[in-house]
Amino acid sequence: MADHWNFVAAAYGLAILVLGGYWRRLVRKERELMTAGVQRSRHPSLSGHPRSEPASRHPLP
Amino acid sequence: MTRLLGWLAALALAAGTVMGFGVAPREATQGNVQRIMYLHVPTAWVAYLAFGVVLAASIAYLARRRPGADRVAHASAEVGVVFTGITIAAGSIWGKPTWGTWWTWDARLTSVAILFVMYLGYLLLRGMIDDAERAARYCAVLGIVAALNVPLVHFSVYWWRTLHQPPSVLKPGAATMPTAILATLLVNVAAFTLLYVYFVAKRVRLLRAESEVLA
Repeated sequence: MADHWNFVAAAYGLAILVLGGYWRRLVRKERELMTAGVQRSRHPSLSGHPRSEPASRHPLP
Repeated sequence: MTRLLGWLAALALAAGTVMGFGVAPREATQGNVQRIMYLHVPTAWVAYLAFGVVLAASIAYLARRRPGADRVAHASAEVGVVFTGITIAAGSIWGKPTWGTWWTWDARLTSVAILFVMYLGYLLLRGMIDDAERAARYCAVLGIVAALNVPLVHFSVYWWRTLHQPPSVLKPGAATMPTAILATLLVNVAAFTLLYVYFVAKRVRLLRAESEVLA
Protein backbone atom coordinates (compact mmCIF):
# COMPACT_ATOMS: atom_id res chain seq x y z
CA MET A 1 0.00 0.00 0.00
CA ALA A 2 1.22 3.53 -0.75
CA ASP A 3 2.51 5.52 2.20
CA HIS A 4 0.20 8.57 1.88
CA TRP A 5 2.61 10.91 3.65
CA ASN A 6 0.36 13.84 2.69
CA PHE A 7 -2.43 12.39 4.87
CA VAL A 8 0.01 11.94 7.76
CA ALA A 9 1.17 15.56 7.38
CA ALA A 10 -2.43 16.78 7.20
CA ALA A 11 -3.44 14.95 10.40
CA TYR A 12 -0.42 16.11 12.42
CA GLY A 13 -0.54 19.62 10.93
CA LEU A 14 -4.19 20.02 11.86
CA ALA A 15 -3.52 18.79 15.41
CA ILE A 16 -0.64 21.28 15.80
CA LEU A 17 -2.88 24.10 14.54
CA VAL A 18 -5.77 23.24 16.87
CA LEU A 19 -3.68 22.59 19.99
CA GLY A 20 -1.43 25.60 19.32
CA GLY A 21 -4.48 27.78 18.72
CA TYR A 22 -6.09 26.65 21.98
CA TRP A 23 -2.86 27.25 23.92
CA ARG A 24 -2.53 30.76 22.41
CA ARG A 25 -6.16 31.49 23.34
CA LEU A 26 -5.43 30.54 26.98
CA VAL A 27 -2.28 32.70 27.05
CA ARG A 28 -4.15 35.70 25.56
CA LYS A 29 -6.96 35.30 28.09
CA GLU A 30 -4.40 35.11 30.91
CA ARG A 31 -2.84 38.39 29.72
CA GLU A 32 -6.23 40.09 29.49
CA LEU A 33 -7.14 39.00 33.00
CA MET A 34 -3.79 40.18 34.36
CA THR A 35 -4.34 43.59 32.74
CA ALA A 36 -7.89 43.75 34.13
CA GLY A 37 -6.57 42.82 37.59
CA VAL A 38 -3.90 45.56 37.49
CA GLN A 39 -6.46 48.16 36.35
CA ARG A 40 -8.82 47.06 39.07
CA SER A 41 -6.18 47.43 41.78
CA ARG A 42 -5.27 50.92 40.46
CA HIS A 43 -8.87 52.14 40.03
CA PRO A 44 -11.12 50.17 42.38
CA SER A 45 -14.10 52.37 41.43
CA LEU A 46 -13.92 51.15 37.81
CA SER A 47 -14.80 47.60 38.74
CA GLY A 48 -17.96 46.17 40.21
CA HIS A 49 -21.02 48.43 40.34
CA PRO A 50 -20.59 51.73 38.50
CA ARG A 51 -22.58 53.52 41.22
CA SER A 52 -22.38 53.04 44.96
CA GLU A 53 -25.32 51.44 46.75
CA PRO A 54 -27.94 53.94 48.01
CA ALA A 55 -27.29 53.06 51.66
CA SER A 56 -23.63 53.98 51.37
CA ARG A 57 -24.16 57.35 49.65
CA HIS A 58 -23.29 60.43 51.67
CA PRO A 59 -26.22 62.74 52.39
CA LEU A 60 -26.04 66.18 50.84
CA PRO A 61 -24.76 68.86 53.22
CA MET B 1 3.70 24.35 38.76
CA THR B 2 1.52 24.87 35.66
CA ARG B 3 4.57 26.09 33.71
CA LEU B 4 6.53 22.97 34.73
CA LEU B 5 3.62 20.82 33.57
CA GLY B 6 3.68 22.66 30.24
CA TRP B 7 7.38 21.99 29.74
CA LEU B 8 6.95 18.35 30.75
CA ALA B 9 4.11 17.98 28.24
CA ALA B 10 6.19 19.63 25.49
CA LEU B 11 9.14 17.31 26.19
CA ALA B 12 6.90 14.24 26.26
CA LEU B 13 5.24 15.28 22.99
CA ALA B 14 8.67 15.73 21.38
CA ALA B 15 9.69 12.27 22.60
CA GLY B 16 6.41 10.80 21.32
CA THR B 17 6.89 12.41 17.90
CA VAL B 18 10.49 11.14 17.64
CA MET B 19 9.29 7.63 18.55
CA GLY B 20 6.31 7.84 16.20
CA PHE B 21 8.43 8.80 13.20
CA GLY B 22 11.85 7.40 14.11
CA VAL B 23 11.48 4.32 16.32
CA ALA B 24 8.16 2.70 15.40
CA PRO B 25 8.46 0.56 12.26
CA ARG B 26 6.50 1.06 9.05
CA GLU B 27 3.31 -0.96 9.34
CA ALA B 28 3.29 -3.85 6.87
CA THR B 29 -0.32 -3.59 5.63
CA GLN B 30 -1.14 0.12 5.75
CA GLY B 31 2.31 1.61 5.24
CA ASN B 32 3.35 4.88 6.87
CA VAL B 33 -0.20 6.28 7.01
CA GLN B 34 -0.66 4.05 10.08
CA ARG B 35 1.51 6.59 11.98
CA ILE B 36 -1.66 8.66 12.36
CA MET B 37 -2.54 6.11 15.06
CA TYR B 38 0.02 7.77 17.41
CA LEU B 39 -2.15 10.88 17.26
CA HIS B 40 -5.65 9.44 16.85
CA VAL B 41 -5.61 6.88 19.69
CA PRO B 42 -3.98 9.12 22.38
CA THR B 43 -6.37 12.00 21.66
CA ALA B 44 -9.32 9.58 21.86
CA TRP B 45 -8.02 8.29 25.21
CA VAL B 46 -7.64 11.85 26.51
CA ALA B 47 -11.21 12.64 25.39
CA TYR B 48 -12.47 9.61 27.39
CA LEU B 49 -10.43 10.81 30.38
CA ALA B 50 -11.67 14.40 30.05
CA PHE B 51 -15.33 13.40 30.00
CA GLY B 52 -14.74 10.97 32.90
CA VAL B 53 -13.37 13.92 34.87
CA VAL B 54 -16.44 15.98 33.88
CA LEU B 55 -18.64 13.17 35.25
CA ALA B 56 -16.75 12.99 38.58
CA ALA B 57 -16.53 16.77 39.02
CA SER B 58 -20.21 17.25 38.12
CA ILE B 59 -21.29 14.65 40.70
CA ALA B 60 -19.00 16.35 43.26
CA TYR B 61 -20.53 19.74 42.42
CA LEU B 62 -24.12 18.51 42.81
CA ALA B 63 -23.20 16.86 46.13
CA ARG B 64 -21.23 19.71 47.72
CA ARG B 65 -21.96 22.82 45.58
CA ARG B 66 -18.30 23.86 45.58
CA PRO B 67 -17.40 26.25 42.72
CA GLY B 68 -13.99 24.54 42.40
CA ALA B 69 -15.64 21.29 41.23
CA ASP B 70 -17.67 23.24 38.66
CA ARG B 71 -14.52 24.93 37.37
CA VAL B 72 -12.80 21.55 36.92
CA ALA B 73 -15.85 20.20 35.05
CA HIS B 74 -15.98 23.29 32.83
CA ALA B 75 -12.25 23.19 32.03
CA SER B 76 -12.23 19.44 31.40
CA ALA B 77 -15.27 19.63 29.09
CA GLU B 78 -13.64 22.39 27.04
CA VAL B 79 -10.35 20.50 26.69
CA GLY B 80 -12.29 17.28 25.99
CA VAL B 81 -14.11 18.96 23.10
CA VAL B 82 -10.76 20.11 21.62
CA PHE B 83 -9.34 16.57 21.84
CA THR B 84 -12.52 14.94 20.49
CA GLY B 85 -12.41 17.29 17.52
CA ILE B 86 -8.82 16.26 16.78
CA THR B 87 -9.75 12.56 17.20
CA ILE B 88 -12.57 12.88 14.67
CA ALA B 89 -10.49 14.89 12.18
CA ALA B 90 -7.43 12.61 12.44
CA GLY B 91 -9.64 9.52 12.15
CA SER B 92 -11.33 10.93 9.08
CA ILE B 93 -7.96 11.72 7.45
CA TRP B 94 -6.75 8.20 8.28
CA GLY B 95 -10.01 6.70 6.99
CA LYS B 96 -9.76 8.14 3.48
CA PRO B 97 -6.66 6.17 2.30
CA THR B 98 -7.46 3.02 4.31
CA TRP B 99 -11.27 2.70 4.09
CA GLY B 100 -11.73 4.76 0.94
CA THR B 101 -14.03 7.28 2.62
CA TRP B 102 -13.69 10.35 4.86
CA TRP B 103 -16.78 9.47 6.86
CA THR B 104 -19.34 6.71 7.29
CA TRP B 105 -22.30 6.57 9.65
CA ASP B 106 -21.18 3.45 11.47
CA ALA B 107 -21.76 2.99 15.21
CA ARG B 108 -18.33 4.14 16.45
CA LEU B 109 -18.11 7.25 14.30
CA THR B 110 -21.73 8.23 14.92
CA SER B 111 -21.51 7.75 18.71
CA VAL B 112 -18.31 9.87 18.84
CA ALA B 113 -19.99 12.58 16.75
CA ILE B 114 -22.95 12.56 19.19
CA LEU B 115 -20.55 12.81 22.16
CA PHE B 116 -18.80 15.77 20.49
CA VAL B 117 -22.09 17.59 19.80
CA MET B 118 -23.38 16.93 23.35
CA TYR B 119 -20.30 18.56 24.91
CA LEU B 120 -20.45 21.42 22.42
CA GLY B 121 -24.00 21.91 23.70
CA TYR B 122 -22.65 21.78 27.26
CA LEU B 123 -20.28 24.67 26.50
CA LEU B 124 -23.02 26.62 24.71
CA LEU B 125 -25.37 26.13 27.68
CA ARG B 126 -22.74 27.64 29.98
CA GLY B 127 -22.49 30.70 27.79
CA MET B 128 -26.27 31.12 27.59
CA ILE B 129 -27.09 31.33 31.31
CA ASP B 130 -26.07 34.50 33.14
CA ASP B 131 -26.59 33.21 36.68
CA ALA B 132 -23.36 31.32 37.48
CA GLU B 133 -24.93 29.02 40.09
CA ARG B 134 -27.79 28.01 37.79
CA ALA B 135 -25.40 27.48 34.85
CA ALA B 136 -23.22 25.25 37.04
CA ARG B 137 -26.24 23.19 38.17
CA TYR B 138 -27.70 22.68 34.68
CA CYS B 139 -24.27 21.89 33.21
CA ALA B 140 -23.52 19.39 35.97
CA VAL B 141 -26.66 17.46 34.99
CA LEU B 142 -25.84 17.65 31.26
CA GLY B 143 -22.20 16.75 31.96
CA ILE B 144 -23.29 13.55 33.74
CA VAL B 145 -25.82 12.56 31.06
CA ALA B 146 -23.33 13.20 28.22
CA ALA B 147 -20.53 11.25 29.94
CA LEU B 148 -22.78 8.17 29.99
CA ASN B 149 -22.20 8.12 26.22
CA VAL B 150 -18.48 7.27 26.72
CA PRO B 151 -19.02 3.51 27.40
CA LEU B 152 -21.38 3.45 24.43
CA VAL B 153 -18.61 4.88 22.23
CA HIS B 154 -16.04 2.38 23.53
CA PHE B 155 -18.21 -0.74 23.28
CA SER B 156 -19.99 0.26 20.05
CA VAL B 157 -17.44 -1.76 18.04
CA TYR B 158 -18.52 -4.91 19.93
CA TRP B 159 -22.26 -4.25 20.07
CA TRP B 160 -22.74 -3.34 16.40
CA ARG B 161 -21.09 -4.35 13.14
CA THR B 162 -18.77 -1.43 12.34
CA LEU B 163 -16.11 -0.45 9.85
CA HIS B 164 -13.97 0.78 12.75
CA GLN B 165 -11.62 -1.83 14.18
CA PRO B 166 -12.06 -3.09 17.78
CA PRO B 167 -9.64 -1.84 20.48
CA SER B 168 -6.11 -3.26 20.44
CA VAL B 169 -5.05 -2.10 23.93
CA LEU B 170 -8.10 -1.17 26.07
CA LYS B 171 -9.57 -4.68 25.96
CA PRO B 172 -9.47 -7.85 28.06
CA GLY B 173 -6.22 -9.79 27.59
CA ALA B 174 -2.82 -8.75 26.28
CA ALA B 175 -2.34 -6.02 23.68
CA THR B 176 -2.16 -7.43 20.14
CA MET B 177 0.62 -5.34 18.60
CA PRO B 178 4.44 -5.47 18.33
CA THR B 179 6.41 -4.06 21.29
CA ALA B 180 7.89 -1.08 19.38
CA ILE B 181 4.45 0.05 18.20
CA LEU B 182 2.90 -0.49 21.64
CA ALA B 183 5.74 1.42 23.40
CA THR B 184 5.39 4.33 20.96
CA LEU B 185 1.65 4.40 21.48
CA LEU B 186 2.00 4.38 25.28
CA VAL B 187 4.59 7.21 25.23
CA ASN B 188 2.21 9.28 23.11
CA VAL B 189 -0.72 8.46 25.42
CA ALA B 190 1.38 9.68 28.39
CA ALA B 191 2.40 12.84 26.46
CA PHE B 192 -1.15 13.78 25.49
CA THR B 193 -2.36 13.02 29.04
CA LEU B 194 0.26 15.47 30.38
CA LEU B 195 -0.90 18.05 27.83
CA TYR B 196 -4.49 17.51 29.00
CA VAL B 197 -3.50 18.02 32.66
CA TYR B 198 -1.56 21.18 31.71
CA PHE B 199 -4.49 22.64 29.73
CA VAL B 200 -7.02 21.85 32.48
CA ALA B 201 -4.78 23.31 35.22
CA LYS B 202 -4.29 26.50 33.20
CA ARG B 203 -8.00 26.77 32.32
CA VAL B 204 -9.09 26.22 35.95
CA ARG B 205 -6.72 28.99 37.06
CA LEU B 206 -8.16 31.32 34.41
CA LEU B 207 -11.74 30.51 35.41
CA ARG B 208 -10.89 31.31 39.05
CA ALA B 209 -9.26 34.59 38.02
CA GLU B 210 -12.28 35.43 35.83
CA SER B 211 -14.69 34.93 38.71
CA GLU B 212 -12.49 37.11 40.95
CA VAL B 213 -12.38 39.92 38.37
CA LEU B 214 -16.16 39.75 37.85
CA ALA B 215 -16.90 39.62 41.61
